[in-house]
Amino acid sequence: MSNEVPGTYWMAADGLHVDTRGLPPPDPLVAVLWHITQPERNGPVIAHFDRDPVYLLPELAERGWSYEYGAPDSDEVRLTLRPAP
Amino acid sequence: MSMAGRFLGGAQDRLLPAAIPFRFFVTAAVFHLLAWMVLLLAADEVAGFRGGTGPVLAAIHLLTLGTLAMTAIGASLQLFPVVTRRALTRNWPGHFSYALMLPGVALLSWGMALHQTTAMQLGAGLTCCGLLVFVALTANNLRRASSIPVVAAHGWLALATLFVAALLGVLMIWGIELNILSNRSGLAITHLTLASYGFMGSLILGLSLVLIPMFVLSRSLPPNPGWAQLGLTALALLVFSISFVSEFPGLIWLALIAGFGGTGFYLWQMAKILRSSMRKRLGLPFVLMRASWGFLILTLLLVTAYLAGLAIPNAVSLIGFVLLAGWLLTFLCGVLQRIMPFLASMHAAGKSGLPPLLSDLTAEGPLMLHAVCHFSAVTLCGIGIVADQSLLIRIGSALGVVGAAGFATFAIIVALKVRQGPRTS
Repeated sequence: MSNEVPGTYWMAADGLHVDTRGLPPPDPLVAVLWHITQPERNGPVIAHFDRDPVYLLPELAERGWSYEYGAPDSDEVRLTLRPAP
Repeated sequence: MSMAGRFLGGAQDRLLPAAIPFRFFVTAAVFHLLAWMVLLLAADEVAGFRGGTGPVLAAIHLLTLGTLAMTAIGASLQLFPVVTRRALTRNWPGHFSYALMLPGVALLSWGMALHQTTAMQLGAGLTCCGLLVFVALTANNLRRASSIPVVAAHGWLALATLFVAALLGVLMIWGIELNILSNRSGLAITHLTLASYGFMGSLILGLSLVLIPMFVLSRSLPPNPGWAQLGLTALALLVFSISFVSEFPGLIWLALIAGFGGTGFYLWQMAKILRSSMRKRLGLPFVLMRASWGFLILTLLLVTAYLAGLAIPNAVSLIGFVLLAGWLLTFLCGVLQRIMPFLASMHAAGKSGLPPLLSDLTAEGPLMLHAVCHFSAVTLCGIGIVADQSLLIRIGSALGVVGAAGFATFAIIVALKVRQGPRTS
């Protein structure tokens, strides 16, 4: 699946950014879950969406990842994801 | 509105108030129980049923309108705004549709069971008004769709076939009193076909393109097979309806070929999604959904055998039963047991933190009971219809009642957990 993971991603000082904007459902869900389930992933993931990813939240809980909404923005919805303590 | 929704503001929030979908889902679970109960009482009449008012027709409508349509409406109101990326403009029509449908279906079924024409007319009127509100609300949402046009197009086909099926239903009820219908059986079969393969089938085929990848965590599909599936399904429904209403049976073979084609494209896409699933364990919901796909193929094979002149005892009853209880009911029970805890978890989510685990929001014992009883009920009733054995149908229906009670227990448990309200975080 690694060659097929939807969306774009890049590493920045604040963590791994995953941009899912413009993707049809359920690709944003698949993209974020693929990144957080990689074995080496334990730092923050900043996920960019063009709509509220309500369907992602139960899946994060199942995997023990917490989320925090970023400041409201007219262009995107941003979530910061971390492994739950 | 969820905490997340309030935080983000209404424009981006496409999560309906929990009361709207859950009201439809819990009611569907209760009508499901009633449908099996009425079938149990009418077990002697099931195998030889060829239409006409009575408890078997009431059981059919408790299942189709009470269970299948209620589930479809609740799910559509929640899911189409996600697919179209357009929030519903207002919430009150969802409540209003429910307020019309609930007494409408109850009155219609009661009138059918007791041969009460006035009750049927009033019930049909209320039900049709409720369906019309749903059609208007969904059409307004689909009209503004900006995402996944192939799924939205399935929605349009579903609404169009629902409209015609409801019209034919009303015509048949009024025709009882006025005695104006010369081709009643042709109209009844067209009504059933448009309501089941048309309305329910189009919704299932369309929403599966988004729901199944979401459930199993697989990428979205390319649109072309979805368009082929839609085109063949629409062709099958159109040609089938013309062949029955015009009493020109030769066309039905063309409809069947198109129906097999549409089903083939659908199942090929579902298999492709399952092959690329990121989720290791799909669980009980997918046992039901996979079985329902088998029942879908079985209905088409039974119709083919019947039309080819093979001597299948009580073929009409058997086809109707496998279609409604086998394919549609099994699929929707699978979807509901996956989506209800999912929606409950989303509604409980705060602006940060962890929402409740899905495993804390479900009820595995009642769902296992339902699955075992449901499959036993469908098998026993199916054999009972072919063998013309009322006892088998009675035992099957009794198991159906137990299974439906298990499913209703699950639905009520999830709904009560939603009513506890969102977590604050």
